[in-house]
Amino acid sequence: MLDAYGNPWTYRLKWLYLLSVVFALLLPSFYIIYISFNEHGFGARIYEFTFDWYRVVLGDTMLVASLKWTAYLALATMSTAVPMALLAAKFYRRARRKVLFVTLMLSPLFVPADIMGSSLLVYFKHLNAACTALAAALGTDWLASWFELGFVTALIGQVVYTMPYAFIVILITMSRYRTQQTEAARACGATAWQAFWQVEFPQIRVGVFSSCAFVAILSFNEATRTALLKGGFDTFSNVLVSQMLNVGMSEESYAMAGTMSIVAMVAIGSILVYTLARSERLEREARARAEPVMSR
Amino acid sequence: MARGAVNARGAGRGGTTAGPPRPSWRQRVLGENGLQRWVFYLPAAFMILFLAVPAALTLVWSFFERTTFWMEPGFTLFAYENFFYSARAVNYLHSMLHSLAAVVVSFVIGFPIAVFVRRRVPQAAQHRVVLLFILPFMISELVRVFAMRPVLGRYGLINTFLMDLGIISEPISAILFTPLGVIIGDVLSFLPFMVFSGFLAMEAVQRYIFEVCDDLGAPAVRTFRDVIIPLAAPGIFAGSVFIFVNALGTALVPTILGGPGAVNAGLIANQAIVALDFPLAMAISAIMIVTLVTLLYIGHRLFDLTRILEPIS
Repeated sequence: MLDAYGNPWTYRLKWLYLLSVVFALLLPSFYIIYISFNEHGFGARIYEFTFDWYRVVLGDTMLVASLKWTAYLALATMSTAVPMALLAAKFYRRARRKVLFVTLMLSPLFVPADIMGSSLLVYFKHLNAACTALAAALGTDWLASWFELGFVTALIGQVVYTMPYAFIVILITMSRYRTQQTEAARACGATAWQAFWQVEFPQIRVGVFSSCAFVAILSFNEATRTALLKGGFDTFSNVLVSQMLNVGMSEESYAMAGTMSIVAMVAIGSILVYTLARSERLEREARARAEPVMSR
Repeated sequence: MARGAVNARGAGRGGTTAGPPRPSWRQRVLGENGLQRWVFYLPAAFMILFLAVPAALTLVWSFFERTTFWMEPGFTLFAYENFFYSARAVNYLHSMLHSLAAVVVSFVIGFPIAVFVRRRVPQAAQHRVVLLFILPFMISELVRVFAMRPVLGRYGLINTFLMDLGIISEPISAILFTPLGVIIGDVLSFLPFMVFSGFLAMEAVQRYIFEVCDDLGAPAVRTFRDVIIPLAAPGIFAGSVFIFVNALGTALVPTILGGPGAVNAGLIANQAIVALDFPLAMAISAIMIVTLVTLLYIGHRLFDLTRILEPIS
């Protein structure tokens, strides 16, 4: 495996292996999409292509309501997690105790969904009790339901979960940015905000927008933490889980799972294509700029 | 340095005798030494408030006494006794073994990919190749795990395919609703992380090191064992801990692919919450958190895990 420089076939075999692993990882999702378009569902000998199951999903008012809640939650998570991740990445670059900070920021990656969800559930119940008691003592309703299980608690759970991903993506983009440019801008009289918005942000914009998409998809897909923290409303993933566990895999469930897969694939595929096209364009431009210099 | 530049400008404008002009209250509150400075602490404060504090309190709540619907302050080891002196502890140990198996399989499948990409793929294309693994990872874990049922099931894709080819005469039933199904589910769910962390660790390994090994005629196995593994150890360890802990704590996989009797720590915690036994749920969460912190601490002491982040720092 490791000394295959001279043998093109070994090299090709390694590529084949890599692509086979990617294919194996994607196969179940593709298969579920394939089934979701079959009029006769899973296991049928005949395959007849249809959009009917998707029409059923989009015609179900409960599912459409859950899709709306999912979209609101994804939007709110994105609007909260990405700016915070950006602040965290900027803070990390100049932090003195990097290890402590990065441990804090990345530890949600290592805490399983059920464990984090259970801890937060009990934490919010305690916080809610404390806030209610405080509100009663102060004679105001203002504090009373801050941490009652609902949209806000689900949002907090999702922000804790998604922020590390956004943090890593932004940090990777920021690593290519040279801080001397900010210093130059400041020396020319720019305020901190101007230096960030007009000099730094255009260069890390791709990372910020990519992290927006990642966070939105992660939020759209998330089920476990949300199920524990959401209170009274349902998200699309939660409806899907309860359908799958209570009713089993119906044709409608396949269409729901297919919807989730297609949304994620289209979103991530677009980002990948855009990122690759952009890096190709930047490389071309850099080559074009370098050529006159090289020819001198 | 930026602040220095501002001071230098201020001194230049105001002269040495008058000094810089006194900032207005608005500048003091909203300026760079006011809110603008403190706003950078917001993510850390958020994580402390909603991650570190609940995690620490989990340990405290695990000693609380159970009431009918909730729990009350006190000190009792009942939740731990309930866990360790029951079938739950045995199930927990079994799920640890399954998680360990998932780590080994993920390493065997995923790490060679990270090494191959780093060693043989042209530098400019390396990140693009790794990005291929983002796509499966970004599809909902719920969908990916559920989608394995029609693939691995008795009349699923694999069995149908093998039977159509005539390789088997009757469906294999050992790959779904068995521990093997759980391990397959864990590997397919978390394998991309081994590739990501392995690649990140391999990025810190200079390419000339491989050329030196080739020039010295080191056999592939020796290069792998004595050069690549020690240099990539932080990434391998981080990826392994991620897979181990998540395989141990994600209830979805045993629920969907394990069949009756299959459990892991996450599922036990979930069942405890459904049964309104909150101290037990907290005890299991505390055990998981302590396991995680201990593993990361040992890993950091042995391999210095911050080395993984060197390429992006």
